[in-house]
Amino acid sequence: MLRAYTLAFLLFLYAPILLLPVFAFNEGTVIAFPLDGFTTEWFGRLTTTPTLHRALANSLLVATASAVLATALGLMAARAAVRYRFRGKGAAMGLIMLPLVLPEIIVATSLLVVVVRILGLPLSLLTVVAAHTLICTPFAVAILNASFSNLDPALEEAAVDLGETRASTFRLVTLPLIMPGIVASLLISFTISLDEFIIAFFLTGSDPTLPVYVWSLLRFPRELPTIMALGTILVIVSIALLTLAEWSRRRGLRRTGAQDTGGFLAQ
Amino acid sequence: MTDPLIALRGVHKHYGDYHALRGIDLDIRTGEFFSLLGPSGCGKTTLLRTIAGFEEVSEGTVMLGGQDMRGVPPNRRPTNMVFQSYAIFPHLTVAQNVGFGLRRRSDLNARARDTLVADALDMVGLDGFGARAATALSGGQRQRVALARALVLKPKVLLLDEPLSALDKKMREQMQVELMRLQRQVGITFILVTHDQEEALVMSDRIAVMFEGGLAQVDEAEALYRRPASRRVAEFIGTMNVLPATVAGDTVDVAGLGPVPLSEIGHAAEGGGTVAVGMRPESWTLLAPGDPAPPRATDGTVAEVVYYGDMTYYDVALPGAERPVRVSMRNLFGSDVLEIGAPARLGWSPGAMVLFR
Repeated sequence: MLRAYTLAFLLFLYAPILLLPVFAFNEGTVIAFPLDGFTTEWFGRLTTTPTLHRALANSLLVATASAVLATALGLMAARAAVRYRFRGKGAAMGLIMLPLVLPEIIVATSLLVVVVRILGLPLSLLTVVAAHTLICTPFAVAILNASFSNLDPALEEAAVDLGETRASTFRLVTLPLIMPGIVASLLISFTISLDEFIIAFFLTGSDPTLPVYVWSLLRFPRELPTIMALGTILVIVSIALLTLAEWSRRRGLRRTGAQDTGGFLAQ
Repeated sequence: MTDPLIALRGVHKHYGDYHALRGIDLDIRTGEFFSLLGPSGCGKTTLLRTIAGFEEVSEGTVMLGGQDMRGVPPNRRPTNMVFQSYAIFPHLTVAQNVGFGLRRRSDLNARARDTLVADALDMVGLDGFGARAATALSGGQRQRVALARALVLKPKVLLLDEPLSALDKKMREQMQVELMRLQRQVGITFILVTHDQEEALVMSDRIAVMFEGGLAQVDEAEALYRRPASRRVAEFIGTMNVLPATVAGDTVDVAGLGPVPLSEIGHAAEGGGTVAVGMRPESWTLLAPGDPAPPRATDGTVAEVVYYGDMTYYDVALPGAERPVRVSMRNLFGSDVLEIGAPARLGWSPGAMVLFR
């Protein structure tokens, strides 16, 4: 009974995604059963659409920048949270983590108001990067918090005791030991930014990111199979990136000999 | 006398409202094996960390080799530390761990460095372990790597923060001997923090007993044991039977034992208020029937028997004494172990007594 329920649940969750590749290789332009025949035409068309390439380049740029910024900010926040006690720490950490639970549409709307009405800045990829950094930082903090918690403070003290400065200690001891966490944080932030639509839709200027571009294609029914093909690729890339992130995180735990306390993909 | 290697003068440490160190004055000599002994929370680790430079003192001075250490960070002090968790770098090999502090030595080429590392590993009995991953070591081996990593730098002072507390009993006893051997071999001053009084007695030249952030007594092991400065020190170091007493003129009336001339009492510890007399368990003699009568003896009853193989501990109830006294006897071949309820005749001498008042 439980087995059947689980199966039904998983089917409900993933059936739509499983349909992506099915229609991506279907010859007919109408997204409906019965299927017509096998083709790779839609994938071929992806390679000959310059606007798509432009959108993809935008997305990669935004995702890379957001991932780096979020990880850098997360690194500082996590270290402060784990190593030091200070006034208002709870409140500060709570505010950093808040975007995790806020509805994206609310975040997007308020950012739009702030950027356009209050700051008077033009919408561009930069505004998208800023917004994506905001929503990626909580994930970076969560991952790096775990990295720092698993790091014995005596290791850093030992390095200083053996003659290193604070800076060289960070480079020689801290950084190598939390590197798997940093890699995991970069990959997850990258993936989140790459897949994010609502905020990008609100804050993007004339340069769309990939999800925004896909959205714009939906107005043309003829393009639907191409979207299916693109979606298939995106799903595969996302899964690959998340798997890599989790692998990196577990490798880090093994390296420091720490206990696995969960993470994003609990076993 | 030469200048002390380490001189602490009026050292105080505050953490907010908490007064962790309360006016420490302490001299530690070159080549000494010195222990800081006390219950947890007494400030012994804080004191060690102020010497290492991880904690800045709130008041007072820390002098190391004649130099004021105020504002000198740990990486520029002639001290090295063995951490309680060993703090072995998990991403490096054993040899890289041991050679970590040599990286900054520009006067050494790679080969000289390798030789020093190999010698250090050899010294702690880890010859040939250099290429192993640090995570693949047992607790005792990590301990040795931590020792080699600190000693290879030839510090003036080696600081050891409860280094044996994570080891099991057998391993701990083995490492105690090892540490003493190493200390004699390298001649470096060792400062050991421990809460284990036996460990301190076994290993140290001198011991500082600490309570609540202050020094209670600084002395050699035997003096601490035989001539404690206070009842608290006496009860912290080993077992001490404390019998209530009253002083009248030049005699002390000890509960359960009767009057004793003050002049015959072995050691007097001042301070503490109430008068009492202390006797170590091994200072009593349990007399067998037919033994020649000693000058002083008292009759009692066995209340408890704890058998240890080589020793037996008896709790003997004395008429007139509130609590039974603990008596230790070596189990010589052919001697019988008494049973609970058996009569016991105890011989004792005022010379082994400590008077607290």
